[in-house]
Amino acid sequence: MKKYVVVSAGLLFLFMVQAARGQEKFIDVRQNMADNLTAVKTAVKAADWAGALEKFRTARQIWDADVKPIITEGVKSDTQFQEYFDRIVEVEAGLDTVGRLLESRNGAEVEAKINAVIWGISHHPRGFKVPNPKYTVWDWIFGLGIGLGFCVFATFFGLHLRRSYYRRYKKS
Amino acid sequence: MYSNLIITGVYLVLMFAAGLFFSKNIKNTSDYFLAARSAPWFWIMGSIWATNIGFLHGYLAHGGAAYEWGLIQANFEWFQGPFGYIISGIFFIAFYWRAGIYTVPQFLERRYGSALSTIYSFAWLIIFVVTIAAELYLGGMFLKNILGIPFWPTVFVLTAVVGTYTLMGGLGAAIMMEFVQFIIMMLGTMPLLFILLNMVGGFTGLKNVLLTQWGISSQYFTVLPDIHHPYGPGPWIILGQCFVVTLGWCAGHQSMVQRNLGARSIYDAKLGYVVASIPKTLGAFLYIVPMVIAPVIFSQFGIFVEKSDAAYGKLIINLLPQGMLGLFIAGLLSAGLSSISSVLNSSSTMVIKDFYERFFVKGKSDHHYFIAGRVATFSIIAVSLLLVPVVLKVYLIMWLEQTLIAMVLGPFMGILMLAIFWKRANKPGSLAGFLTGGAFAIFLQQVMGVKIFFQISWWSFVVTLAVTIVVTLLTKPPSREKIEGLIWESDFKAKLGEVVDHRAEHNGSRVTGVPVLVLHKPAWYLNLKYWATAILLIQIVLLFFFG
Repeated sequence: MKKYVVVSAGLLFLFMVQAARGQEKFIDVRQNMADNLTAVKTAVKAADWAGALEKFRTARQIWDADVKPIITEGVKSDTQFQEYFDRIVEVEAGLDTVGRLLESRNGAEVEAKINAVIWGISHHPRGFKVPNPKYTVWDWIFGLGIGLGFCVFATFFGLHLRRSYYRRYKKS
Repeated sequence: MYSNLIITGVYLVLMFAAGLFFSKNIKNTSDYFLAARSAPWFWIMGSIWATNIGFLHGYLAHGGAAYEWGLIQANFEWFQGPFGYIISGIFFIAFYWRAGIYTVPQFLERRYGSALSTIYSFAWLIIFVVTIAAELYLGGMFLKNILGIPFWPTVFVLTAVVGTYTLMGGLGAAIMMEFVQFIIMMLGTMPLLFILLNMVGGFTGLKNVLLTQWGISSQYFTVLPDIHHPYGPGPWIILGQCFVVTLGWCAGHQSMVQRNLGARSIYDAKLGYVVASIPKTLGAFLYIVPMVIAPVIFSQFGIFVEKSDAAYGKLIINLLPQGMLGLFIAGLLSAGLSSISSVLNSSSTMVIKDFYERFFVKGKSDHHYFIAGRVATFSIIAVSLLLVPVVLKVYLIMWLEQTLIAMVLGPFMGILMLAIFWKRANKPGSLAGFLTGGAFAIFLQQVMGVKIFFQISWWSFVVTLAVTIVVTLLTKPPSREKIEGLIWESDFKAKLGEVVDHRAEHNGSRVTGVPVLVLHKPAWYLNLKYWATAILLIQIVLLFFFG
């Protein structure tokens, strides 16, 4: 009996690991792309233009072959991909600009452009899309109701507890 | 790179060895589950905070939520956390302590009977197993990102270390280790805030980038946003989170309560809980404020961040120098390991005291239950390990865990308030109220599609209160003898003898008479009222600046 329990648990574990791999792949390919883009920055600083171009081409290939297809497919069934889908144009424009700058050996703007591309494939805070605060009359009534209500409740309940306590244990 | 690996390795070996060392003093279930009731207030303080703050409720997932939604996440640290600590410390812990219990469900059993306490224990066990799995997942991801070591071997090593010292040393080892870990966390992780503030030009510079240059709403930079906020509407944070979830968490979470039950006196238990509000408040500066700064740093330096839970790790690996990074990793591992060990110890306590001893194997020797406790610890961590791949698929772990908790804590707070402050509350009323409240929470989430867990917890709390009161009034009141010592209006001086006898029986020692009650007035600097007042004033100041 114990043997079957252990084997079943092991199989269940392997099944779950397999299911979780899809999520990991999207992380890994973007990380790989970001690592290559970071290597481009390092190569440009060292004036290694050939190395920079090679790393950039690898990053571009990862984008075209892995990252972009996962996003365009994923967005059809999972809203998690929407933010990346919305930024595809921005990322591709950034990659094109970096490619042009590297080919013309113009290093001045490369770092800022690469940083923008890496930020483009990163996860952005959802709080950035929250609208500015808006307070209606009902908000004020609700807020003040809670605040004042709690103060009144706390005062009377506290007095009640105090009275019942000293009824049992006289002040000494 | 190697220096970080070495520091991490040495830290884990030391934790492992310390656990084995503390296990020498463990002889019976009271030692194992309640640290022989010997912990002074400052151990309780450090241990409570280290228990509360881990990968999940601190640096990684909680910090991740701060990256996602902004300073709103600091409401957990800046008013509702301290509020929950202080109210629980002053009111609820005293009741548990006087009752001489091991677990919160034991209190519910004495007050309301076994059916309710069994349901409550079962619900918490599910939450605990998910919590441990989430902590292991976050720890594995963190070390993978920082040290580049593979995810699964890391998870297994973490499991082995924390499992061993908790399994061998029980609550005593957990509390002592947590106190040490509390100091390492504070010293190791605080420098990050100053480094980041320096990089963005202080709070003014940060606001300038976020609000002026990027045009983001000021709600990203406030603790209490308006009622339309999609993640945490301000009024609902106060109603549902502050008054219900946080208070219920502090008064009903077995790991938090168990640390207090291990105190050497009621006063140590109360003071430890109240003073733990100070590190709780400071916690926002360790993992909330840095994560609000993080988006600016990521965009300016081209740092890739795949999801909010990974943001903290990405920040430190790219900014901290090698030596400091090693210390930082030790601090973060302390946070994670302390939380895992406390939840692990608490869940094994519940398995043995609320299920095994009550339903399956009654009347065995203390040694039998002590060994069973170790087996339970091992089993729970094994089940949690199986759940790690499931957790890996959840987008925002914090959301999942908070929703589960909201479903339990709303009804729990309803029946706990009535249990202590309304002597008429009875068994049928509480059972009907708890089940209806829990079902209503599920209805709100699954049928009505309510996503904000503060609202779920508040309405389930209200429904529980209403149903419990109505059913209680329609049924017989409990006898006075049954509720004596469990309600606010109990005569605790008369109850003292019974409690002492009960404890003596569980500690395996004999007490022939009731000891003379000697009241020592604490030194002025240890006065509970002063500390509670000062801490609440600090919260008001923080709300004034960031509310």
